[in-house]
Amino acid sequence: MSRPQLLQLAIPLVQTYGFTRAALSHSVFRLPKPHSEQLSDSAVTALFGEGNDARKTLIDAWLEDARQHMRASPSPTIKAILTQRLKQNEPVLQFLPEAFALLASPTNGLPPLDPLPALKHAGSVADEACHIVGEHNIGLAWYSRRATLGAVYAAAELHQLNSPSTVYDFLESLLDSSGKVESALQDAGTFAGYIGRSWAGIIKSRGPF
Amino acid sequence: MFASNIARRACRTNRPFRHCRFNHNQPTPNQNQESSRATHFGFQTVPEEQKESLVKNVFDSVASSYDLMNDAMSLGIHRLWKDELVSLLKPGARGPQKCIDVAGGTGDIALRILDHARERYADRETAVDVVDINGEMLREGFKRFKKTMYHNTPQIAFQEANAQALPTERFPDNTYDLYTIAFGIRNCTSIPDVLKEAHRVLKPGGTFACLEFSRVNNPLLSTVYDQYSFSIIPLLGTILAGDRASYQYLVESIRNFPPQPEFAQMIVDAGFTTGGMFEGKGGAWRDLTFGVAAIHTGVKV
Repeated sequence: MSRPQLLQLAIPLVQTYGFTRAALSHSVFRLPKPHSEQLSDSAVTALFGEGNDARKTLIDAWLEDARQHMRASPSPTIKAILTQRLKQNEPVLQFLPEAFALLASPTNGLPPLDPLPALKHAGSVADEACHIVGEHNIGLAWYSRRATLGAVYAAAELHQLNSPSTVYDFLESLLDSSGKVESALQDAGTFAGYIGRSWAGIIKSRGPF
Repeated sequence: MFASNIARRACRTNRPFRHCRFNHNQPTPNQNQESSRATHFGFQTVPEEQKESLVKNVFDSVASSYDLMNDAMSLGIHRLWKDELVSLLKPGARGPQKCIDVAGGTGDIALRILDHARERYADRETAVDVVDINGEMLREGFKRFKKTMYHNTPQIAFQEANAQALPTERFPDNTYDLYTIAFGIRNCTSIPDVLKEAHRVLKPGGTFACLEFSRVNNPLLSTVYDQYSFSIIPLLGTILAGDRASYQYLVESIRNFPPQPEFAQMIVDAGFTTGGMFEGKGGAWRDLTFGVAAIHTGVKV
């Protein structure tokens, strides 16, 4: 029995116990040969880390598991995949704000808040979605596509934390408007390119001055 | 000089002189089958059977000044290391625990475990069995415990036994919640056997913790550390304990111990579940003082 396997067993327990060390220590009750008592504190520390580090390990494992479940979406479109991912949040919705706060809180005092885990989370969901759909982007488009999808997903998830019932419509409206924003940005980029080249031509034709 | 000191001390045991030749015309007895399995004793190679008695002799001679020498060699930091080990394990946090401290002759870890359980959690039912192969070290531990409130209580017991083969009547299977071994495992002849015995006596869900000297990975610090180890420590042994060779052995045995990832793999091979194969939080080990010492943990699942 290895550590990743124990984490897999602990994930369904999050609905009952939340993202806590209790969920980790009760995971041994779901072994093929269950233990008679839950894991001791020192065992949880030895396997997953001290104090809140164990909870962060569990949260990371849960997020990874939710990303795996994105593949089970009914149709391979971005909208369906992101909807599937938002559905994963529903059983544990009340524990999620604390989980994200824990990810953002620093281990040693400074910096006061760490934005990286949130960006990594949105980025990896967007990356997984693009991979499942099979999009081929090259160059800067790779980054801009993932950035837009990450921003869309993050906004939808925040909306879900406050008002879970309207989130799927909100996601749809966001995806439509982001499509419009992307094409508008592309047009603006092309137009700026034309202007730039015209100016370059004018300056060259003025000759040495 | 080192080898002859050890040989002289080894001859104190009551072994027959069957390997001596009294006449140069006599053929030498066949020594090949005995030295076929060799192990390291510091930087010397010795037959496996001899290592146990050689280590016994080392610890017989250092027993009375063991604590003083630890303070001098590590500049008192060994106390911080042992405190870190016990505060990591938090004995007594969820009720009384049965603990076994192996190679813990002088009782440092056992005392810290009992004090932690008593002071933090008001737990007076946690019990520690101190096991050591060396009777002299156990006597020192017993003497130290006489000065504490745990003497003559069921919380502490001393037993002379070999960590590689704990007697099954005294140490049945699946008995203990916590197994600790601090600065002892490198002196054992066969580390996998010690780990197997640890796995046997621990309950399912029990924790294994090993505090041991380890490799310093930073090259600059490791040079400084080597200089300190090979020059100053044997010198301190001569001055404070009158025994350079034993402390030379101690320093050499540290260099021969496997590095952190290898030892973590040996723990996994013995059947334990550990953290990830990296150092630090949630990892199979954590370095103390840049890797001079390391705590390896595992859980019997």
